[in-house]
Order: sequence, then C-alpha cells, then structure tokens
Amino acid sequence: MYVGQVNRALTLALCIFSLTGCVQAVPPDLLTALESIDQDLIALRAPETAPEEYGSFVRQWIALKTRAELDDDLIKWPWETGELENELRGLYLLGERTVSQLHDRQAARQRTAQSKVEGIKDRLHRLTSQIESIDGRIVLGEQVVQADLLVRQARFFLEGKDYQRAIQIAEEAHQAILEQTALLAEELGRYADPKRIASWQTIAQQTIAWSRTHQSSAIVVNKAERELTLYMSGRKVLSYPVRLGFNGIREKQFQGDGATPEGRYRVTDKRGPGQTQFYRALVLDYPNAEDRRRFDLSKKAGKIAPGKGIGGLIEIHGVENESAEQTLGCVMLENPSMAALFERVSVGTPITIVGALTEDNAVSLALSALAQHKEEI
Amino acid sequence: MQSRVSLVAIALMIIVTAGCADPPTEQIQEAEKALKDARESGASTYSPDEYAKLEGTLDALRKEVSEQDGKFALFRDYGKAQQLSISAKADSERIKVAAAQKKEEGRAAAMQAQQVAEEAVRATQELVAKAPVGKDRAAVETIKNDVEGLKSLLKQVQDSIDKEDYPAAQTQAKAINEMSQGVQAEIQQALAKVGRGKPSFSRKH
Repeated sequence: MYVGQVNRALTLALCIFSLTGCVQAVPPDLLTALESIDQDLIALRAPETAPEEYGSFVRQWIALKTRAELDDDLIKWPWETGELENELRGLYLLGERTVSQLHDRQAARQRTAQSKVEGIKDRLHRLTSQIESIDGRIVLGEQVVQADLLVRQARFFLEGKDYQRAIQIAEEAHQAILEQTALLAEELGRYADPKRIASWQTIAQQTIAWSRTHQSSAIVVNKAERELTLYMSGRKVLSYPVRLGFNGIREKQFQGDGATPEGRYRVTDKRGPGQTQFYRALVLDYPNAEDRRRFDLSKKAGKIAPGKGIGGLIEIHGVENESAEQTLGCVMLENPSMAALFERVSVGTPITIVGALTEDNAVSLALSALAQHKEEI
Repeated sequence: MQSRVSLVAIALMIIVTAGCADPPTEQIQEAEKALKDARESGASTYSPDEYAKLEGTLDALRKEVSEQDGKFALFRDYGKAQQLSISAKADSERIKVAAAQKKEEGRAAAMQAQQVAEEAVRATQELVAKAPVGKDRAAVETIKNDVEGLKSLLKQVQDSIDKEDYPAAQTQAKAINEMSQGVQAEIQQALAKVGRGKPSFSRKH
C-alpha cells in the first residue's frame, strides 16, 4: 500500500515535472520583436543606406533564427542555460541601438540634403540672375542647362527621400556652378582687367578729344553699362540705354557669333526710312583694318573655324519690331532715342565701342559677387 | 556464436555507414551558385534586404557544416545543412526572379520617362522653328542655346540607362521634361509678343 502510494506520488511528480519543467528555448515574443526590428531597419532603408550595419544585424539574426527553427533543443530543461535566448536578447539590444542610430543618421542626412538642395537652388538662382544682368547666358553655352538639370535632379531625389543621392547630386551641381563661374571669369575677365580698362579709357578719351578738336559729334558705347553717349564738341550731350547682340558682352570674333565688336569705328552710311529694315540705322565701318588683323591672327591660331567669315554690317539702329529684345551684334536703341541721335550724327562721325570705362563696371561687379559666394551651398 | 558474429558485423556496418556521413557539398555549391546568380541579376540592388538575409542564410549554412565537420565522425549530422542549402537555393532563385522583375520595372519606368523627355524636347524644337526668323530670331537665340543644351542632356539619360542606373535616368528625364516645359512657355511668350516669323533679307553681322 505504502509502496503503491509512493509510486503514484513519484509518477505524478514526474508528470508534473515533465509538463511544467520543460520550457521553450526561445520565447516567441522575442522572435517577433526581432522580426519587427528587421522591418524597422528595412523601413529606414538600412539595406541601401547602411548596408554594413544592416548586413551585420541580419547575418546574426538569420543565423540565430535558423538555429531556433532547426534546433532540436527548442524545448529545454529548466537547468539548461538559455544560450540561444541570450544571444537573441543581445541581438535585440544591438538591433534597437542600430535602429536608433540609423534613425538619427537618417534625420541628419535629411537635414543635410534639404540644406544642400536649398543652398544649391539659391546658388543657381543667384548665378542665373547675375548672368542675366550682364547678358552672359550665351557665354556659358550648354553648361547653363547642365547645372539646372543637376539642381532639379537633386530636388527629385530629395522628394523621393533618397537623401544620399540628393546630397551627391547637389554636390555635382555645386561643381557645375563653380565651373560656370570659372568659365565666366575666363571669358569676361577682361572687364575686370585694369590694363584693358585703361586701354578702353584711352580710346574713349581720344574720341572725346577728337570731338572737341573738330567741334563735331562723336559717340562712345559702353558695353558693360549698355549705354551710348553722344558728345558734341567734347561735351556729353545725350546718353541712351542700348541693347547689344545676343552675345554682345563678348568681343566679336566671326560672323554670326552675336557679339558686338569693340574698337574705333566711323559712320559710313546713314539709312533712313525705306533704306533699312529698322526705324533708322547708322552703318559702321566694321570690319576695319584692326578687326581684320585680329581675325587673321585668331584664324591662324586656330581659334576660329576655317569656314567662318569676319562678318559685317554692324549698325547702330532703331527697333524693327517692338518685341525684338536683342540684336545679332549691332547696337540697338529705342526709336525716339534713335531719331534724336540720327539727327545729330553725320557720315564720318567716330563711334568708339568699349567693354567698360571703370573697374567697378557691371560685369566685373557681377563676377566679383559670384566669386565671393563660390564656396557656399 | 554465429549470431554474435552477425551482430558485430551489423554494428560495424552501421558505424562505418554513419561515420561516412558526408556534407551535402553539391547542394551547398548549388546554393552558393544560386546566390551568385541572384547577385548578378541585381538582387543586392533591387532586393537588398532579402539578399542580405540570403547571405545570412549562407553564413549559417557554412557555420553548420563547419560545426558538423568538427564533430567526431560518428556524431556528424548534415541533415540541417542539407535543409538550409535547399531552402537557400530556393530563396535565391525566388529573389533572382523578383530582382529581375524590379529591375525591369525600373528600366521600363526610366524608358518611359526618357520617351516623355524626348517628346518634350522635340516639341520645344518644333516650337523654336516656329519662332520669329531674321532679326526677330535674335530674341530666341538664348532659347535655342537652351534647346541645344536639352538635346545633349538627353544623351545623359541614355548613358544612365546604359549603366542601369534607372533612378538617375528617371530623375534626369523628369528634369529635362520640366525644363522643356519652361522653355516652351518662354517661346510661347515670345510668339505671343511678335507673332509668327516672317522672312528677313540676309544680313552679315
């Protein structure tokens, strides 16, 4: 009887022990939590933006998950150490830290991308404004659209939350803008060159002196300020705003370049109604001997393509159509101004076209403003 | 006596058979090849999370084989390794297909954006052709310069497509389309001001 009771008690104890003593090696909640960490990392685009961190986490996670799924010891005795569980808990803590770090990094990257994209947009806007203020767009050729493309591309990447790419493209855009600024400085640097300005001042003064000596009219056109000044007997009597060729800021090199020539010219013909497609026109003796000499030198040096001609028929003229905003290399005035000028000028009147007459001219100021901000984005 | 000998022989045979358990080399190689194929089809780019997990599975597989290799021959069991290599191969093949599909979707989207951009540049060019000629043409010289720029930018889209950088191609094409719309608006404004072009006598300049 006693032995039977003992046996029953032992059997019962064994059953209870078997049922309650065995525990699961890995709590399912822990696996779910790690699954959730993995999802958080994917949502943070860790596989693309932080492949090393994600790779490190996911390798451990997959290794432990595989063990949990494949191991026979999914049920352990209470006295067995929960090595797998401990490793999973350690990985959970690591995962949480990684999520937190990546979240912070992502937020910082977003701020950087936003700031860079805004900065580069602002920089391009400033460059465009400065270029337009000096009509220098053609000088840059296709580079203008290249920088514009990169700025827009950076914005699209930012909108798509690809901050890394947005930063990278914004930096490329910054580089493109720096190159444009350098090209402008190279092409238009003569407007900031004291020697060149001094030579322009000299020929302008000689023209004014001629007007004084001959008690006659003379014209000085200042390209940087887009201004035509009429002198009578050496005195400034009229000053008008003008428009130049579509590439007028440059020095004329060949036919069709849209540039306005610089140098000393004379009026060779006065064309009134019926003689010109414009309101009135004063024909200049471009190309003169100096222009031809310069053209030949440039051609020999290979700076001008063999097929290109020197061009001609450069005029000071009025407006043909009210909406013509630029010319092909001539100097254009509003019709009332042209009428007043036409009356005061005769064939033989000297016309001197210069780049600038002061060192702080509009072009050099624009170049200096661009140079000052070149490192900013 | 004879039955005892038989028992010993059977036991020895079991020991020898069990001791000769080999790793599933062929299956592991197949799994590794499948992972390589998945990578080459762009899985690391188009399904980076799943690809990283696959690499993790391959790591676990190698570790499991190494652990079994380290055991005494009688206790080696490559069953789990076999199971892992089979599932890794199957997952690699699945991810390879999924990545190829995502890649194709990216390519299709980039090509569609490229087509839209090309169409926009073409429309802009046509509009420039309608713009005023002769003296009035000077007003659109800057615009023509921009259109030439847009045409050369289209080459960059093709370059990005050729390099399989579809996100770059898409954003470039989108930007070109946006810029073309801007240039078209400028030309429309110019056209509204001066009307259609008229012939102009040839001039030097």
